[in-house]
Amino acid sequence: MQTKQYAIKVFEVNVTNEEETLAFLEKNYVFFRKHLISLHGRVTTKIENYLKEKQLTYIVDARLYPTKEQKSVVCTSEVEDNLKVIDKLVRSGQELKIKGDLLLLNRVNSGGSIDIDGNLIVTQIVEGSIRCRGKFMMLKASSKANIVFNDVEVDNRYLQERLNRVDLQDNEIRITPVLKETSWV
Amino acid sequence: MGIVIAVISGKGGVGKTTSTANVGLGIALKNKKCVVVDFDIGQRNLDMILGLENRVVYDMVQVMDGEVSLKQALIKSKMSPNLHFLAASQTKDKSILDSQKILKLVTDLKAEYDFVILDAPAGIESGYEHTIEFADRALVIVNPEVSSIRDADRAIGILDSKSQKVKDGGEVLKYLIINRINPRMVQSGEMLSSEDILDILNIPLIGKIPEDQGIIDASNQGKPVVLDSNSPSGRAYKRVAARLCGEEVALENIESPEKGFMQKMKGIFQ
Repeated sequence: MQTKQYAIKVFEVNVTNEEETLAFLEKNYVFFRKHLISLHGRVTTKIENYLKEKQLTYIVDARLYPTKEQKSVVCTSEVEDNLKVIDKLVRSGQELKIKGDLLLLNRVNSGGSIDIDGNLIVTQIVEGSIRCRGKFMMLKASSKANIVFNDVEVDNRYLQERLNRVDLQDNEIRITPVLKETSWV
Repeated sequence: MGIVIAVISGKGGVGKTTSTANVGLGIALKNKKCVVVDFDIGQRNLDMILGLENRVVYDMVQVMDGEVSLKQALIKSKMSPNLHFLAASQTKDKSILDSQKILKLVTDLKAEYDFVILDAPAGIESGYEHTIEFADRALVIVNPEVSSIRDADRAIGILDSKSQKVKDGGEVLKYLIINRINPRMVQSGEMLSSEDILDILNIPLIGKIPEDQGIIDASNQGKPVVLDSNSPSGRAYKRVAARLCGEEVALENIESPEKGFMQKMKGIFQ
């Protein structure tokens, strides 16, 4: 016999309203494609049929035991080695693909994008799109921006007006202002 | 050796061709030898704006293919002996362009003229890439609205990665012209301000052109507004031309202009 152990990401969905849940799944289909969905509540056949049709992996009423993730973000030496500092405008149509961490000292214009595996700090306003899979990011974004942090779309209403720190704590996205009064931009 | 300036915008309809005509004529009126080339193969417009529609016999594609000499195809403007014009082909399309042929054409023009101004087609396809390929500088035309800004941003990005000068390790100097500014709408906040646009595009400003109804009539008649010293947009283009010739001209604040005579009168009677 062979066994393997994985740490996987699970999206928990508590169904109360069928229509709402279907709409939610439809909207975020791209994110769910590669993840496991755990359903609770009133799971109807219509929802199950939809999930089967879209070939999404799901479980119903399963008991899961989530492990708590590391709480604080520690900048290890590995992080420092990978740090890139760029002082260039990311213009519309340009895409920065970064493996490590990035400190961007300029703006990300509408239509420009950054795809990064590590942590990200942008000191000027972000109007384009960000895909960040690091432990944290710091940025200020306009309402036009599209920001996805670890496969979850961040509501940019909370990112406007000041520099914010976004990180994962207990599998939840936390947004905290970096400087409460002073504006960086 | 002359300077090659590409006039670009990304988006169509923001005033590339009008600006090319006016800036070109403005430079010629400063006693510099200037040639304007329409690079919009298949959709030539510049000949009409310059009022040279009926004079076009040969076009640049025929020159590049060696069918006619450059001298035969160049058309002298009626408005200034220093201004010449090279028409785009109306029957061919953009796929006809070829880097080697363009390089030869541009080099030949540079040897003869102080300024070679290339009117780029809208969009960012091959026609655009060929226009910017051998440019020394670029005039970026935008309107104070978001879609124009984003398209210009994209066009600048391509310029910064695909032009020959950049590939050789240099940099193409870029200048921004903000066209069709409506002072009233900027003040009420409906239109983007120059500061916002400069923040986004991050290139130096060389001129602000106010919205002007007279431009349409001028274009239809083939008389660029730069000839009309009563027209605010004409004066603005004149200043851009002077700046390109290296003169120091202060930027005029057209966004909050002084009140005109009629408004002053109204003010008194209120």
